[in-house]
Formats: sequence, C-alpha cells, structure tokens
Amino acid sequence: MMSPRLSYGLFFLLIVSFAGCGDDAGTQTGDSNTATVATETAGNAESTGTVSDSSAAEAGGPSTSERETASPDVDPVVFSKSTKETDAEFRDAYKKRLASGKLKLAKIPMRSDGPKSMDPVRGSTVYENQCASQLVETLLQYKYLKRPFEAEPLLLAEMPKSEDGITWHFKLKDGVFFHDDACFPGGKGRQLKSEDVFYSWKRIADTKGANSKVWWLIKDTIKGFDEFKATQEAAEKFDYDAPVEGMQVVSDKEFTVTLVAPMQSFLWKLCMFQTAIVAREAVEMYGERFGLRPIGTGPFVLKEGDWQQGQGIKFTRNVNYHECYFPDEHMKSDEADDLHTAAGKRVPQVDEVQVIFYKTDQPMWLQFKAGDLHYAQVPAENFKEAFSKRTKKLNRDMQKEGMKGFPVDMLDFIFRGFNMEDSVIGGYTEKNRLVRQAICAALDWDEQNEAFYNGINTVYDGVIPPGLEGYPAQGKSDKSYRGPDIERARQLLAKAGYPNGEGLPTIDYYTGRQQNGQEQSEMLSKQLKRIGINVQVHLLDFSQLIQKVDEKSAQFFSFAWSSDYPDGENNLALFYGPNEAPGANHFNYKNAEYDRLYEKVVAMPQSPERVAIYEQMQAMLFEDCPYAGSMARTRFYVVTPRMTNFKPTETFETWYKYIDLTD
Amino acid sequence: MWAYILRRLAYNVPVYLSILLLVMLALRVRDPVFGRLPKNATTADIAQKRVELGIDRPFHQQFGSQLKQVATATFDEISWDYPGQTVGEVMSRCIGPSLSITLPSLVLTTLFSITVALISAWFRGRALDKGLVFVAVLGMSVSFLVYIIFGQYYGAYKLNEWLGYDVFAIYYNPEVSNAGWGEFFTSVWPRYYLLPVLISVVVAMGYDTRFYRAVMVEESARDYIVTATAKGASQSRIMFIHMLKNAMIPIITRVVITIPFLITGSFLLESYFGIPGMGNQLIVAVESGDFPIVQSFTAVFAAVYIASNLLTDVLYALVDPRVRLS
Amino acid sequence: MTNSSSDSRALRKFLRHKPAVVASFIIAAYAVVAMLLLFTNMITMDDTLQRVGPETIPGFSSVQNPEKRLEDAEWLLDRIDTLAGREDPRAALDSFRDLGVRHVAEIPIEDLQQRVEEGWEIYDRLAEVEDLTAAVNGTLNSPDAPTGEVVLADLQQLELKLDELLAPMTAKEKSTRWFEMLFGTDRQGRSIFYRSVYSIRVAVLVGLITGLLSVTIGTIAGLLSGYFGGWVDNLITWLYSTFASIPNIVLLILLAFMFDGGHIDEPLNRWTGGLLKWLIGGRLDETLIPVYIAFTATFWIGPCRVIRGETLKIRELEYVQAATVMGFGRTRILLRHILPNVTYLMLINFSLLFIGAIKSEVILSFLGLGVKKGPSWGIMISQSKVEVINGFFWQIGTATVLMFFLVLAFNVLSDALQDVLDPKHV
Repeated sequence: MMSPRLSYGLFFLLIVSFAGCGDDAGTQTGDSNTATVATETAGNAESTGTVSDSSAAEAGGPSTSERETASPDVDPVVFSKSTKETDAEFRDAYKKRLASGKLKLAKIPMRSDGPKSMDPVRGSTVYENQCASQLVETLLQYKYLKRPFEAEPLLLAEMPKSEDGITWHFKLKDGVFFHDDACFPGGKGRQLKSEDVFYSWKRIADTKGANSKVWWLIKDTIKGFDEFKATQEAAEKFDYDAPVEGMQVVSDKEFTVTLVAPMQSFLWKLCMFQTAIVAREAVEMYGERFGLRPIGTGPFVLKEGDWQQGQGIKFTRNVNYHECYFPDEHMKSDEADDLHTAAGKRVPQVDEVQVIFYKTDQPMWLQFKAGDLHYAQVPAENFKEAFSKRTKKLNRDMQKEGMKGFPVDMLDFIFRGFNMEDSVIGGYTEKNRLVRQAICAALDWDEQNEAFYNGINTVYDGVIPPGLEGYPAQGKSDKSYRGPDIERARQLLAKAGYPNGEGLPTIDYYTGRQQNGQEQSEMLSKQLKRIGINVQVHLLDFSQLIQKVDEKSAQFFSFAWSSDYPDGENNLALFYGPNEAPGANHFNYKNAEYDRLYEKVVAMPQSPERVAIYEQMQAMLFEDCPYAGSMARTRFYVVTPRMTNFKPTETFETWYKYIDLTD
Repeated sequence: MWAYILRRLAYNVPVYLSILLLVMLALRVRDPVFGRLPKNATTADIAQKRVELGIDRPFHQQFGSQLKQVATATFDEISWDYPGQTVGEVMSRCIGPSLSITLPSLVLTTLFSITVALISAWFRGRALDKGLVFVAVLGMSVSFLVYIIFGQYYGAYKLNEWLGYDVFAIYYNPEVSNAGWGEFFTSVWPRYYLLPVLISVVVAMGYDTRFYRAVMVEESARDYIVTATAKGASQSRIMFIHMLKNAMIPIITRVVITIPFLITGSFLLESYFGIPGMGNQLIVAVESGDFPIVQSFTAVFAAVYIASNLLTDVLYALVDPRVRLS
Repeated sequence: MTNSSSDSRALRKFLRHKPAVVASFIIAAYAVVAMLLLFTNMITMDDTLQRVGPETIPGFSSVQNPEKRLEDAEWLLDRIDTLAGREDPRAALDSFRDLGVRHVAEIPIEDLQQRVEEGWEIYDRLAEVEDLTAAVNGTLNSPDAPTGEVVLADLQQLELKLDELLAPMTAKEKSTRWFEMLFGTDRQGRSIFYRSVYSIRVAVLVGLITGLLSVTIGTIAGLLSGYFGGWVDNLITWLYSTFASIPNIVLLILLAFMFDGGHIDEPLNRWTGGLLKWLIGGRLDETLIPVYIAFTATFWIGPCRVIRGETLKIRELEYVQAATVMGFGRTRILLRHILPNVTYLMLINFSLLFIGAIKSEVILSFLGLGVKKGPSWGIMISQSKVEVINGFFWQIGTATVLMFFLVLAFNVLSDALQDVLDPKHV
C-alpha cells in the first residue's frame, strides 16, 4: 500500500490534471465580457458598468474602453470547518417530520416533456440525465460548489489511481446499498460490489439487448472492450460474464481498468450518468421496463406510479442512502448566498422532489410567479421581468421577496454549420472558402443575442466554450472571420466572384421549428440579405433536421453542441474527419493535419503545449470556416427564499440531494 | 335493421382499410430513425435502428401487423417514444384526462346553447334574438388560441392574484394523477379541469347556439306547431313540449356526431394547461414520429367515427318512423 | 328555375340586409389592401422584419415608465456608439436603417462621438439609481437617492441629447414614423402596424386559394358523384369518408409535414418542370404550398358532401328528367341545368371555408407549420403569448382585431347569403 503522504500527493496531482479549466486566474479573465463572474458575487455593485456594455465593448467602440475595466476578482476556494451530522441526528430529524406529516417537498420545473427512459445506457438528453442521476450513481461526481469544475469520488472510497495513465485502480466505498426492491431476495437492496461496475459498463456495449445508445462514449477506450463487443454481438446471446481484458476484479471492493492508451477524458466519462452503476437483478427482472424504474444506489427512489409520462415525476428520499455530506469546500462568492452554512450535513436533505415538466415556458413562469415552484429558469422572454437588462441584477421587488438570482454559464457551442461536401459553399477551394468567410462576417451574433436572449449570452470566436482551456482571451481571436462587418463581408463575397451576391444561388438554410426558430431565421435572412445573399429557410422538426444533416444534404444549418465534459477536446472532436455524418462531425470537415493533431491531443495531459495545439486547431477552423459562430447560453435562475443550499448549474445533475427547504 | 347495420359495416371495411393505409403511408414520408440515433451515430447504427423499429420489413408486412393489432384490439405494440410501454397503456392513461375536459364541456355546451337557442327562437326577429345571434357570431370570429391565452392569464393567474387564493390552477400538477375518485371530483376536477372546460364551452357556444336556433326556428314553422297554436295551446307549452321534443332528432344527431371528438381531446387546451390527454399525446407522437401511437390512435378514432355515424342513422330511423333505412 | 328575375330579386333582398352590405364593404377593403400588398411595394416583407425602434413599445405613444425610457436611450446610444467606431463610420451610420426613417445627424464623427459621450455621462448617472420608477414615485427609501425631479430632468436631458444625434425629420418621414409606431413594436423592435397589415396578404391568399381550390374540387366531385351515381359515387364517397375519418389535426400536420422540408414538393416540382411553383409559387408565396395543400385536402369534403346531396335531389326533378328524355348530353345537363342550381352552395361554402382557413392558419402557426416567411396573424398571436404574461397586449390585440373584423365580415356575409340564396334555410 502507498504511504498516506504519497497517495495524497497523487490525489492532488490528479485533481489539477483534470480540473479541465486549468488555473483559476488564467481562464477567468476570458469571462470578463459576460455577466457571469461579476454578478456571481451578488453584492458587488461596482460590476454594473462592466456588464451592461458588453456588446458595445465587443463591437470595438473606442469610446467605451473605460467601461470594460475591472477584471473580476479571483474567487478563492474556502474550506469551512464543520462537524459531520451524525446518523442518529439525521434519522431523528426525518422521523420527526414523518410523524408531524411535514415532509420537505421541493417543487421544481423542467422545461421539456421529461425523460423518455431513465435507463442510463439509453439516456441522451439532459432531462434524462437529470432524472436518472437521482436514482443511479456514477463512480465519480462533480464537486457541488467548486468552480472551475472538478471531480470527486461518489461511489468510490478515493479517487482512482494510476501511475502510467493506462492502468487505473479503483476502490469502492463501503456501505453503499442498492434501493430496496422486489428484484432482490427479501426485497432488501444488497451491497454494491465490483462486478456491478463491469456489468453496468458491459450494458453500454450491448446495443441490441440493452438497447444502448451510448457506445460512442466508451469505444476505443478500455483494452479488449471493443473486441468483447464484436464477439458478443456476433454470438447468439450476449454473455455478460465473458471476460474483458481491461476489466479485472481484484476483490468485492477493488478492481482495475486498463485503457488502450492514456486518455485525458476517461475520468470525466466516469462522471457521466451513462456510466452509472445499476443492479443486475433489476435489469434481468424488469427487462424493457427497467427504464421506467431504474434501480441503483441514488439518493432518491422512484415509487410505483410516481412518474407521469410527459407530466412530471416525484422522487422520494432513499432512507438507506450511503453516507454522504454537504461539501465543506466552497468558493468565497458562495458565502453571499449562504451556501457555506450547510457544510457537514448529511444528504439528501429534502424528503421529496416533485419535478413538473413544461413544454412551453408561459405556464412555468406564471406558476413560478404564483408561488407554486421553488425556483425557475428565467425564460428569455421574461428576463426583463425578473432582472434589470442593464445591470443583470435581480429586480428590486423580486429582491424584496427574498428571491435570489443566479447566472449559470453553459458549456455551449451554438453555431451555423456549412456542409463541406456541398458544391456551392462546401469544399476547400478558395472561391467557396471566401463565400463561407463572407457569410461568417455578415452574421451578427450580437444582434441575435440582443433580440432573443436579452444580451445575456456570450458571443465568442472558436469552438471551445467560455471557461475552458483554449477559449480565446475576451472570446475574441484576430484570426476569426466573425462579424458583424458588412464591408469585409462584401469584399470577401466580391473576391469570391459574387459581387453583391450576384450569381450566387439561393442558400438553403435548415433550422428547427422549435421555440423562436421562425423569428431567428427571419433575422438570419435579413442579415445575409445585407450583402446580397438570398436565403431560403427550411423550418424542420428536430428529427427531420438531424436527418438532413446526417444525410449530408443540409447546405447550411443551425445546430448546437453541449459539452459532455468540461474539456475543449470534446468540441474539437466535432471536426475530426472520421466522425463525419451521421457522426458528430456534421460539417463533414476533413483535414488530415487537423485529424493528426486531434489524435495527439486526446492522450495529452493538461499542459501549455496542449493549449497551444488547441489554438492551432482552432486557427485551421477559422480559416476553413466550416461553421459560423459562436454563442454560449447563460441561463438565469430565480430561486425563492424557501429553497436553500441551491447553487444552480447545468453541467452536472447530481445536486438534488444537496438542496434544502426552509419552513 | 340489423341487415342494414351489417351492410353499412361491410361497406365501411374498405374505408377503414384505406384510412389505416393512408395514415401509415403519410407517416412514412418522414424517416423516424434520425430522431432516435445515438450522439455519434454510424451507418451501422442507422441500419440497426431500422431493424429495432421494425421498419426494415416490407410495407405489406408492417401493414399486416398493424391490421392484426387493430383487428384483435390488443394494441400491445411498444411505443417508440416510451420504451417499455405499449400503445394500449399510453392510450388508457391519456383517455381519462381528455374525457375530463371534453365530456363536461359537451354536456354544458349543449345545455347552455339549447337554452339560449330557445330564448332566441322565442323572441325570433326581435332585438334580443338579433343581439344573441350577433354575440354568437362575434364569439365565433375570435381565434381559439386567443381565448386560451387570455383565459389562462386572466382566468387563472390574475383571478388567483386578485382573490388571494387559488381557484383555478394555471398548470396541471402531475401529483393529482394518483388521486382517488372522491378526491378527483371534489378537488382535482374543479381546480385543474374546470377552467379549460369553461374556455371550450365559450368557444363552442357560438357554433352550437346558431345551429340549435336554426333547428328551433325550422320546427316552429312546421304544421304541428301551427295546429297546436290554433288549438290554443300556450306558447310555453308549444315551445318546451312540442318543439323541443321534435327538435330532439337533430340535437341527438349533433351530440352523437361529436362523440369521436371526445376521445381525441383538445390539443391546444391540453398543451396550454399541461393536461396529459390524448390530443396532446397525439400531436407529440405525430411530431416525433412515434408510428405505433399515431397509427393506433387514428385507428381507434376512425372506428368510433364510423360507429357514431352509423349510430346517428339508426337513431334517426328509431325516432322518426318516416325515415327508412335502405 | 334560375333566371335573371330571381337573381335580381335575390340581389335586392341582399341589399336590404344592411349588415351584409357593411360586411361586403369590409371584405372589399381587406381585398383592396391585399391586392395593394401583392402588387405594389406599399409594405414590403423587409419592412415587417426591420427593426424600427426599441422592443415592446406600446402603441399610440403611451407614456412610458422611466426604466423603459432609459433602456431605449441605452439602446440608441449603444448603436450609434458602435457604428461610429467602425472603420468607415459614415458608411456604417448611413446604412443604419434600424431606426426606420430616422437618420443619424449629418455632423462630423468627432462631434457625434462627443455627443454620444455626453449622453453616456447622463446615462451613467441614471444607471446608478437602483430603481428609477421607485425614484420617480418617491418610494425609494435610501438616504442618498436622487429625488424624482432630478431623475426626470436627467431623463429629459438625455432624450434631448438623443434627439440631437438624429437628423430632423421631414414631414413625410414624420408620417411614416407615425405609422411605424402606431401600434408599437414587438420583442424584436419590429413595427406591429406593418406586421399586422402585411398579414392581411397572407390571410387573403390562404383564404382565397384554399377556398377556391376546395370549392372547385368539392363541387366537381360532388356533381359527378351525385349525378352519375354507381361506381363514381362509390369511389368519391369512399374517398371523402376516408379523409373525414382521420382526425382533422392529424391529417393537417401529416400533410403539412409531407409537403414541407422538400420531401415531396421538391421532387414533384422537378418532375413537372417547375409547374407546381409556377402555379402557386412566385407571387403567391411558394412557402405556403404545404398550407394550401393541407387545407384543401381537408376542406374539400364539406362542399362535396353538400353538393352531392343537392345534385341527387336536382337529378330527380322534372326539368332535368325532361332534359334527359329530350336527349341532351350529360355534360350539357350537368353544366346548364345542375351547376347553376348549386352555385349558391358554392358561394356559401366558399365563405365558410375562407373563415376556416384563416382560423386554421393560427393553429398551424402555433405548431410552427404555418407561414414560413414573414408575419401572419397566427405567427403574431403565437409569438405574443409570452408578451401577454408581461402585460403587453399590443401585438396579440392588433392581430386579433384585424383578424376579427375579416372573420366577422365573412360570418355575417355567409349568414346573409344563406338567408337570401338558400330557399330552405331559415
């Protein structure tokens, strides 16, 4: 065994190496043109000017230079001293509430029609992630309060260890039990063991029997796993007990995983709910219906009949949840929101969580205003009702009611994509490249941001969202063709041989009909009309849009990508040649040099060299222009005074257990 | 008469088959595979998805299996959007909420509009009649969507704010799906369903009132009314006994014709008020391309539609001896 | 049965029906506007998409709250500031059409920037105030808060500065501006007046084309079916029974999907050598093709049923029997003797379908399947649902009122037509 000091050292190294966002000071400056950092420290009034003029500063107005001052304060990490709540205290409090009939019931909204299946290997949407994460758990999880994001053990006793980045040693946490269910002997959930981990991962490979949709996540990762999948799929019956070279059980609590090659994103993938651990007994007993009531180790259980498809879902506290506490590590700015006071408390803190699904925003907002919900994401259309557009601060009357406002930065890459295989705007000839660059320069993302998102989103150059390594300083890169610069666009278009758009055929633009797709595409055609480019808009529903893109028949399209984990590599993969449609490379961008760099970067640990390569890769994309972009959303949350210990995030979903309600 | 019914049913078999065929073909214009692919799909994934959904089979086989579902009324095909649930389960879960709106609003609309129509017919040609007809026309000239938007804003949100307590819910609360019968009638229905019902009554009133008024006016010109009047029967007796009795045929016809629309619900109301009904589910399924649900829903609707059409004809014959079924 | 004397009698009866006459005038007015929109540049599609000012401005120049006024000022300052900082500021400023008719003042850029700077100074002062409305109302309970008078004076001074930034308006510009801002602006700062009036074009197009198509198809099918009977009748009855037994909304969506996204209309167009686009595209807006087709496919059933029934009756009438005995051709009998006697049904059905088309457009637009380019009442209504919760009723109100009068006029008209033309109708 390692000495404690050495293991601590290793542990520390690990944290640094996959904190993803690097050192705090370096990357946070990149955020200065968004509202985020400034308003997070809710009390700081001096941030006012900085925020409201972000769009002006971005467009390069010289007279506004003094308004983009004051780089945000570095937000230090604080460890609070806390005593851990004892098991007896925790249980007594719950018993008391149970006896008095005053259970803590959190009511929260979800802006969708909810999950379709909560089976982790079938899940794909953020909503499926959110719901499933309450029932099943992954080996690692994101730290609740720490920013930039960092991982910590959840079902593990400690962070996995590796000396070469290839062989990883895991040790499971003690006292972790599955939910009580009829699938277990006597109806009592049994303890978690190493085999469960491998069983759950093997389900990812079972695209037929388990209907896995997430093989892409783990392929080419674990030694012998791809071969295992090929053998089992060819065989008559998928044999879960067949061995995989890279998955070795050491004991009930310990196991090792051997990778094909060092892979930077491996530990991040262990935070993703698709790799969550499920009970084999339940899968075998419920079969197809497992997705309706997954059995895992999560902080909540789902009772029969508590999921009304398309309407809502209610989670009930798991009384046998393993020992888990509210974190004592927080950011300094969290103290303004009293997030440090709960440190050391046992979780889950609420007894029930009622999630209500909303397909349209209007009723959600009305219900929130009527006091029926404990928090709400503020729909863009209602932003001004809750926040001042100028200061991005919560309105006075909302403040008076004790509400709190939180901006949440999303790891988004919203873009308009070009099909590189198209004869008019695709390809790598000078002429067609110029057309793409002209379109890039003509599009006015700031106007889009202003009109539909109240200017709260971040418009940036490149493909790596704000807050991550590789994001250019201030979100601006001088290599990018992003506009709005009508003059430059006109020149580029003329140089391509289409002065004022003459001779250029109408461009077919494909976009989703959801939300304000109609209005947004009207704006896009207006913007391109300015340089003489005519656009034919095709509003499609989502599956049609995907089909068009996957069949490589969408000339110009609107799409978005949310990062799977906080590392720019995830977004750079979108332009990797072998990922071409129907894969994630919707652009069908092919560049041998780019592909070579990408393959190199995957194995690289976090380092300045890696950042340099990220920049080099992005420079290629700027020049070839397979996309026009970019934008990342910022969501604003309003939280009622009843809900406490809530730090909204959209990057991970394991936070239900931390929230609490006051009386 | 039984011969007639059998003949009509036989006649409707090709109609029914063509409905199934038409819906299946229309659905297949769009490829359902692409909305259901994993994030980083390969062409192999696409092919496998086709097999999984069963749309790799030749069309006649797909048609055959759909036909079997309908003929045996099993509906045990698995929904594509709700893994692990059969179409039958989805339908039986959605029918209740839909009926909770459509049934009461049919009853209320019919009662109210017959009353108004009687009043209107009573004062035929006078200011009150003209006024009522005009109000009906006014009501018909505003979009359904506008009624709902304002209904929800004023009827639920503003009213509750004004009264200080919640009369009508703005949006459905999924928890009440588990309510028992007693609780449903005493608290759930008035709170969650009454407002949508009222909105749909207001919307439908104009159309129904005009229809029933025309029926009453037509009846009032008939010989028997003239005779009754000549015999000195009182106005009110003529109105309520003679006229209403004879107007029952068109009234019943209109009600029976509406039956199939009860089960489809109102998708606009359901989506605005978050009610987990058939209408909403049907639109979601059409949009996402959940073939099993759309096919079976429309099959059920068409069956009820054909049946209710047949029922009206039979009712006509039963009530009115002059009508012969041929 | 039909002759000129009964026609003129009907006309006289119609003219006595005052509401119907008024309704006809209203419809004519809408039709004239629609024609002007179709054939002149009175209001162009670009006008309806152009930003004319700050977002969600109420109509009739209502008095606004101070927060809103400051926001508007910020918007204008920011725009001019940004444009003046461009490489070629003059060109950028000249192309600044976002303000509708008002141009930026023709003064040197340095002066302009100086004025903008002065504007920002006042702005910054006002932006310091926590809550402007509260300050003006004197309810801001903070010791160092400015009084309402100071705030209002600052606001006025700021607006004066803004006025200096813009060129003075000519009389023509003033009147255009007046129209632009008549009913306020929507969430994108677009003129609600332009959008709602422009929507008349879509409404009339959709109503007219689907009305005409469905009545024509329905009439032909109904006549053939009623007159010939036999297998023709069986075929047509079978067709309409099929269409009628599918839930209307499902049929509409499926058809709209089918002709949307180029699955069928593009290949069809190619095969017919662009015939489809030539027929209903171009000025009649090819993006509406799915709407036309979906509506026609569901709407033809109504007239077909009615006319079939009527034809069945007329066929048995003596004069038709006589014509048959006299050896007239079937076509001649159909066209000369039966068709004239069902024209009133065609008229009535047309006006009913017109209403149906306009109202269904709202529903399709709600689902995102309706009009694809430019505004329509349906789009305006579904877009305004979010404004309603914010208490902004101008967009939904304008669209509803304009739609209301057209639909009402058609409702009144079809009633009158039934009174006048349908002998059995009471």
